[in-house]
Order: sequence, then C-alpha cells, then structure tokens
Amino acid sequence: MNNGLDAPYPTLTRLTQLSFRLSRAIMCLAVLPAIACLAASVAMAQGPAPVTNLQSADHPWDGGDNADLTWEVSADDATLVESYFIYKAMMQKGPIPADLLTESERKYALVDVVPAGTTEYTVGSVPGSGYVRLKDLSDEQRALFDPNDLPDKPHKKITVELGYLFKIVAVGSDGSQSVETITAAPYSPTRQWFDAKRMYLLIITIIFGGSVVFFIQHARAGKDLKIRKIGGLAAVDEAVGRATEMGRSCMFIPGILDMNDIQTIAGMTVLSRVAKTAAEYDAKVEVPTCRSLVMTSARETVQAAYLSAGRPDAYNADFIYYVTDEQFGYVAYLQGNMVREKPAACFYMGAFYAESLILAETGNSIGAIQIAGTAMPAQLPFFVAACDYTLIGEEFFAASAYLSGEPEQLGSLKGQDVGKIIVGIGIIVGVTIATLAAWFVDTGFLTTWSEYIKGVILT
Amino acid sequence: MTTTTKSDAQQARVILATDCGSTTTKAILIQLTDEGYRQTHRGEAPTTVEEPFADVTMGVVNAVVEVGELAGRKFIDDSGKIIQPATETEGCDVYISTSSAGGGLQMMVAGVVAEMTAASAKRAALGAGAIVMDVIASNDKRKPHEQIQRIRELRPDMMLVSGGTDGGDAKHVVSIAELIAPAKPQPRFGSGYTLPIIYAGNKDAAPRMNKIFEQGFELLIVDNLRPVLERENLGPARDAIHDLFLEHVMAHAPGYDKLMGWTDAPIMPTPGAVGNILQTIAESQNINAVGVDIGGATTDVFSVFDKTFNRTVSANLGMSYSISNVCAEATMPNILRWVHFDMDERELRNRVKNKMIRPTTIPQSLEALVFEQAVAREALRLAYIQHKEFATTLKGVQQQRSVGDTFSQETGGQTIVDNMKLNLLVASGGVLSHAPSMNQTALLLIDAFQPEGFTTLAKDSIFMMPHLGVLAQVHPKAAMEVFERDCLIYLGTCVAPKGSGKPGKPCFDYTIKGSTLNESGQIAFGEIKLLPLAEGETASVTVEPGRTFDCGNGPGKRVEKTVKGGTVGLVLDGRGRPLELPESREACKPLISKWVEAMKLYPGMG
Repeated sequence: MNNGLDAPYPTLTRLTQLSFRLSRAIMCLAVLPAIACLAASVAMAQGPAPVTNLQSADHPWDGGDNADLTWEVSADDATLVESYFIYKAMMQKGPIPADLLTESERKYALVDVVPAGTTEYTVGSVPGSGYVRLKDLSDEQRALFDPNDLPDKPHKKITVELGYLFKIVAVGSDGSQSVETITAAPYSPTRQWFDAKRMYLLIITIIFGGSVVFFIQHARAGKDLKIRKIGGLAAVDEAVGRATEMGRSCMFIPGILDMNDIQTIAGMTVLSRVAKTAAEYDAKVEVPTCRSLVMTSARETVQAAYLSAGRPDAYNADFIYYVTDEQFGYVAYLQGNMVREKPAACFYMGAFYAESLILAETGNSIGAIQIAGTAMPAQLPFFVAACDYTLIGEEFFAASAYLSGEPEQLGSLKGQDVGKIIVGIGIIVGVTIATLAAWFVDTGFLTTWSEYIKGVILT
Repeated sequence: MTTTTKSDAQQARVILATDCGSTTTKAILIQLTDEGYRQTHRGEAPTTVEEPFADVTMGVVNAVVEVGELAGRKFIDDSGKIIQPATETEGCDVYISTSSAGGGLQMMVAGVVAEMTAASAKRAALGAGAIVMDVIASNDKRKPHEQIQRIRELRPDMMLVSGGTDGGDAKHVVSIAELIAPAKPQPRFGSGYTLPIIYAGNKDAAPRMNKIFEQGFELLIVDNLRPVLERENLGPARDAIHDLFLEHVMAHAPGYDKLMGWTDAPIMPTPGAVGNILQTIAESQNINAVGVDIGGATTDVFSVFDKTFNRTVSANLGMSYSISNVCAEATMPNILRWVHFDMDERELRNRVKNKMIRPTTIPQSLEALVFEQAVAREALRLAYIQHKEFATTLKGVQQQRSVGDTFSQETGGQTIVDNMKLNLLVASGGVLSHAPSMNQTALLLIDAFQPEGFTTLAKDSIFMMPHLGVLAQVHPKAAMEVFERDCLIYLGTCVAPKGSGKPGKPCFDYTIKGSTLNESGQIAFGEIKLLPLAEGETASVTVEPGRTFDCGNGPGKRVEKTVKGGTVGLVLDGRGRPLELPESREACKPLISKWVEAMKLYPGMG
C-alpha cells in the first residue's frame, strides 16, 4: 500500500524538493552542536582519576568484623571529585565451597559514600569467619575440607574463613565515575581479645566488681553495712507472733510458677525465715503449692529451718502439699481454705498473676496480717493496697542478704547498689546530652557524645 | 484502812500524806487556805521497816510529828494513832500514803509472745508501780529448764500471767503455767506467804489455770489484757496488782497492816502514784508529759503521749549504786564530752568507785559536781532511749494501706514518744532536784532529753508527786491545785528547732513580746541563749526557723506560741536536734564552755 509517505522523491514537485532540502540543511545545522555536545560528554564520562594505593588492614581492638581501608585520593580530588563510593564483596577463602556464597554476597555492594578528601574508612560487618553445618554440604564439598576438621555430627558447625575485596570509585559532581580501584587480595579481619569500643563496659565492670569486693571485705572486717529497714521482712516476726497469740496458722503461698522462676526461688528464702520463726514460736505453717517441684523444695526448706531452730520434731511434711497446676483451681482452693481456717498471717512470695488481688482481698477480709513479695509490676499495686506489707521487686530479691546478714551477701548487695547508681547517673547524663544535642545541633562536643551514646553504648 | 468516800474527802480542809521510802519516810501537810489547797509543811524521818524496829508506822509517826510541830498541830493521839477528823488545832481529815519500802513491789510477768502479750503484761506491771524482775515468754529463746531455773531463782512478790487473745491460743499459755506451777517460785516474804498469781490471758484457758494453780498459789483471774491484738486492756490487771499489793505484799511487810488501817485510800506503790498524777495532769490539761525520777540505783521514766501512759524502770542506771554501770554503758568518753575542762581520767574512776561505796556523799568541789552532772546526763539519756524503745504502738496489729503507702510501710511497734509533741518535762531525783542552781537542772534536762519545739521545764520541788498521785484518787481538785502551785517549780521554757546546719549559720529568728521581756534577734546554729522570764510570767514567742529546721509546723514554717516563765527563764536552743557534739575532746571543750557560760551554769563557783 502506498500512502504517500513511502513515495520516492521524484514524485514531489520541484518547490517541494527545494523546501525539503532546505529543511534538511537546517536540521544538519541543529544536529551539529548536539553532536559536539555529545562528543564532549563522552570525553567527560571517562570521569575523574581513580584513587590509588587502596589498602585494607585489620581494625585494631575489635571483635574481628571491621576492616580499615586507606587510599590516596584521586588526582582530581580537588576539582572534579565530589565523593568516593566504597564497595565490598565477599570472597571465599580457604576450603570454603564457592557455591556456598550467594550471588548477592559475591557481588560488590555499596557500603558507604564519603566526601572528597577522605583517605580512610572503617568498613563494618565484615566478619573474618563464618560457619556452615555439615549436613548442608554435599559429598564433593565435604571433600574440600580436611577430614580431621569435619565434626562427627551433621548438625554441627564448621568454621570457615571469609575474605573481602573492597573497591572505591571516585564520583564527580556531574555523576561521572572514575575507574574502579580494587584491593589486591581478599582480606580477612581478625578478632582481638578486647574490643576498645566497649572500654566503658570494662570501666563499669571494674568499678562494679571492685565495689562488690570492697564491700565484702568491709563487711568481713566487721564494719557495719547499713541496709535500709525493709518493713515486710521486719514484720515476719510480728505476723507469726500474731498467729501464735491467736492460735491460728500461717499460710505461705509461693506463687504459681515453678522452681525455674527466680521469684519462686526468692520466695523460698523468705519461707525459710518464716518457718524458722514459726518453729521458735511453735506456730503452724501451711504451704499449699501449685507445682510439685515447689512442694518438694518447700519441704526441704521448712525442714532445714526447723532443724536450725532446734525443733526438728515439730516439722510436719503434711502441712506442705500440692494442690493443682491449674491457676484458678489453685486459687479457688486457697480462697476456700482461707475462709474456713482463717489463718492469722498470709505470705504471698513469688510470681503472681490475676490471682493476686483475689488472694489479698480474701486475706484482708479474714483479718490476717498479709505480707507479699513479687517482681510482677502489674500485680504490685494490688498487693500494696490489700496487704499490710509488700516487698517490691528488688526488695524481694534482696531478702536473702537482708535476712542472712552474711558479709558476702551484704557486700554483694551494696556493690550492686553502686552499679545501680552508676547506671542511674549514666541514664541521666545520656538523656541530658541527647536532649541538648538535639537543641544545639552545631555543638561538636554534644553531637560527638550523642553519636557515641547512640552508636556505641546503645548498640 | 478507813473508808473515806470521795464526797467526804471533798470537804477535807487538812490532808496529811506520807511516802515510805526505803530509807526516808516523808510527810507533807496540805491545807485549805484562802488561795485554795496549798502544801504548807513537810517533815521526814528514817524509815523503820527493817530490824530492829520492824514497824513502818514508827517512821510514819516520827515524820508526822515533825510536820505537826512545824504546823503547830497535833496529829498523833496518845495511843500513837493519827487523829481524824481535823479540828481547829489537831488532826487531819484525810490521811493517805504510798510505799516503796523494802524494794517496792517486785513482780515476774509471763506471756506467749515476748513482743505482744508479754510486753503488755510488762506494761501493766510497770504502770502499777512494780519492778519487773523478768519476763517469761514462749519465744524468749530459753529452754524450759532454763525458764524453770530462772523462776526458782527469783523471789517475786507476785506474778502476772497473760497470753493468747480471747478465743485464741490456749496451748502456749497453759504450757507457761505448767512451767510456773512445778517451779514453785519462793516468795520474798517466806514460806508462810502464798504467792499471788494474776491471770489476765485467754478467757478460754481460765478453767485450766484454776486447776494448774489450785494448790500453793493465790490465783486471781481478771479480764484478758489483750482480748484482741488490736487493743490493750491493762486496767483490770493493774487494779488486781494494786489489790494484791495491799492484801498480800503490804500485809506481810512489818507494820503495814497497821498503816493500812490508818489510811483513807489504798496504799499505792510510789512509782504507781507518780504515774497516776502525771496521767491526771496530762488528761486535765490535754498535754503530753514526761516525768523522770533519777535515783541512786534506778531511773524511772514516765510518759503520757496522746493519753497513753507508759513507765519504764532502768534498773541499772542510777547515780550511786549504779554509777559504775552508767559509766560502763555510756563509756567514759561520752561522759567526758559534757565536761568543759581537763580532768584526769584516773581520778574520775576513783570518784566513781567512791560514789558506789559511799552512795550518800554529795559533790564537794566544782570538778566533782560537773562530773556528777555529766554522768547524770548520760544516765538520763540512756534511760530515755530505753523508754522510747518500750513505749511503742502495739505489735501484731493488722495495718490498713493504700497505694500511697508503697514506699512508706511502717511496721508496728513504733515508738509513741515524740519530742516535738512534748509539752511538759518534769524532773525529780536528787541530782536534778538538789542541783545548786536551777539553771543546771534545766540544761541537764535539755541535754539528756533533747526536747524539740516548745517545751515547758519543771521540777518536783520536794518529790511530792507520789503523795499527790494517791490524793488524786480521793480529791482530784486538791491534788491539781497543789501540783500546780507547790509541787512543780517551773524552770522555764525551752525553744529548740529540730534539724541540723553549719555552725554559725542562722538557725532561727525570734520575736518575744511580754510584759517584761520584749526582744527579737537571731540564733545561730550551735548557739544557746538564756533570756530572763520570771515565774508566773508569760510571753508570746514567734519563731521563724531556717528552711532545714522545724519548730513544730514543718521545716522553715513560722511558729507562734505563748510560753511560761520560770526560775531559769526562756532558753533559746539553736544547737539542733539530734544534738551532736564533736568527737574530738579538744573541739568539744570550748563548745561546752560556751554553752556553760551562756546558761550561767556555774557562776562564782570553783
């Protein structure tokens, strides 16, 4: 089909031919500068001169996952270069099967962009070693390793050495890029014994550990270590005394979790004291538990307490018994028992959940002196409101040192207090610096410390 | 004992009162004058309860005769009895007496838990004027054979057994009774005396008590002194102690049966009578009061705070027989800190031993006086500490909390003694009453008791409080009038903010407005100032304490009060509370010298 557009020139009139030639000439005039520009841009696309002498080295005092890069800047650094693009690529090193590295790991990945004039950079996240599991290796791959290095079980790990190549590209302000400069050989960072970034942790540890040792020695030397009076623990004698005078029992509830919970263990310490006091006063202590293992531990604890009070004959294992693992079945039993037997003193020492208020309110209604101790923040308000005394979190865990009065435990408690003071001061200083740094953006000192806190301490 | 009803006693114009002490029997005469009831005359004579006289009434008669001679009245008839009722020239309308002769009333108490029913039993016994020899409790950490041994060793005049709430424990209290019965405690007055036992415990155990104490004991069952743990009911036990004291103890003391026939009100143990008058005063004036009686062997402290009466006897704190113990307990450096000049410690120790073996000697030199007063400060301080530890809220009581109490969960058994609430501090006992200068008595009290805020200081002029304690039972109006006018010598008022500061920095500003004293100024921390305010005068004092000092309205809050004057005056004490002295002797001496000078303690002495 001929629609006229495909028609040869001879079919046009002379005038038309003339005008067509004129327009072609004009087009030629317009294209020439464009071609010139294109030629120029091609010349610029060759980009600035590359960096030279690119070296990778181990970053000192780290965990073996950083590498220090150094280079000499591009010859065009002062003129054309706007920034340097730093890339890394993982390479196998040693007997690691090549196909264990993924394609993306083998490809160069952009690490960071640094401004012109920079001559060094520390690349992070480049661990010098990794691992593969034996089960993930094919027979051919296993053959690459020394048989002595292979573990005996398939799920065990084989440590493999990793290497990295780094490259830097100088980039001009117009986007032109230099030729890549690549490190000569794969480099593996090595791990040092001490990570200097964590120096602050070393200092804190020394102060913390030193203060614990100091206070232990202080206590052993017979010096008085003042510990704030904990009302709940001081009131144990009072509660057991009330039970004795009223001719009723003491009920000790060790929470609803098992012995693997630290709160249950702390509760056993208090139980020991309660049982010893009860033995001295000749009062009855009843310990219903909702875990069989807790029952066993409680029996051991109470028996030892009666023995230390010089009244092993008064110990009766039947008062320490298992009820049920079911949370509300256990609570229902306790509630019924409390209403029927009306114990004069109730102790709630351990981990509690929804049952806390049910128990404490029932105990309150029967007129018992109630002492609670838990580290469950949500339950503390209920215990505080409904019980006579409440050991709050740390107080509960400090009970052991408080009750025993042993120099080692008291010193340790005091040392921990020093640690808490340091942490408290650190939080206040950190928050203050971060806040001020946000207000006074240009202040170098504040910004540096703010970055240190965010980048080092909080990571 | 003659029976005088209160209505008869109200008509009394002449009242005679005696106090039979271990060594001296004191008699006072109270007469109705135009100014109301006044103590007009006094006399004393040696007590005659021991051999060779062995009749307490002989000493009473001698003391009364002395009073009669001074008053120009005849009190004793030809048969040796007190003449009653009074006429224009002879006799008295009311005769009353107290007694602490022969060591007073000595008791043992027992309870189930030492800090609960046993403590209540001790309070009941002490409040009744007894000396508590020991406290037996289930938890006193003694084995049963040790408890039995102790019961056998002591020779109490009577025992008070308590334990268990009503409907509560019976097992333990019965166990204690079963220890006492076979132990067969030997009474002081010999084998013919049946040991009285008061049972004030769980009422359910009473039948078993009857059975246990069936033979060899005189059992008296009264209401439980802790019917519930939340409440103490000491009245019935105290009344029973008084009754048994008369019926059994006094009846066996030489001559007391006769003396009981003369008196118009039951003879009371002397400390019980002192407590009685202090309670009466505190109740009638709605104040908190502390009284102290420092003797040679013991120091009694009485207190009434918020209408709760407490008494303690510090058995080993005294100024003669117990002076060595005071030195041992307080330690010599603590005593010497109150002395403002150099003293040879060796000489001091000799002085202490001499005082022990010659208890009636009195200081002959300024050094001896200053040292004795230093010992007295420490004895009083220690006795007051013991009192604070004993005068507490009840233990074993259920607490009611709110979430606001999260960080302030106070336990039971907190002391009720609060120096900021203290209104009146009364001193008696030789070292306080017979100090050469009233200023010395005032500073002794201030240093030892460390009153806070505004506190009136007074001393019992002639140890009249026991007489008035008994009189208050039959004639409260007369007792009150004599107490106010003749018994108490007001020393003045101490104004002392609580808190601490730096020496020389401002402690409080004051403005005083009175008829004779109008002054304002500032007291620096560590300074004490004495201003004259005569007895009978009052002044309005406004104090504006520094922000770390509290004078009763909270730290830094202004306080305005009307204060009483006295023989000493108004003491503005800026030394802070608690009062802390430098540890170094060299630093302490000039400070004490400054205070001695400011208080004009020893003017012209030495």
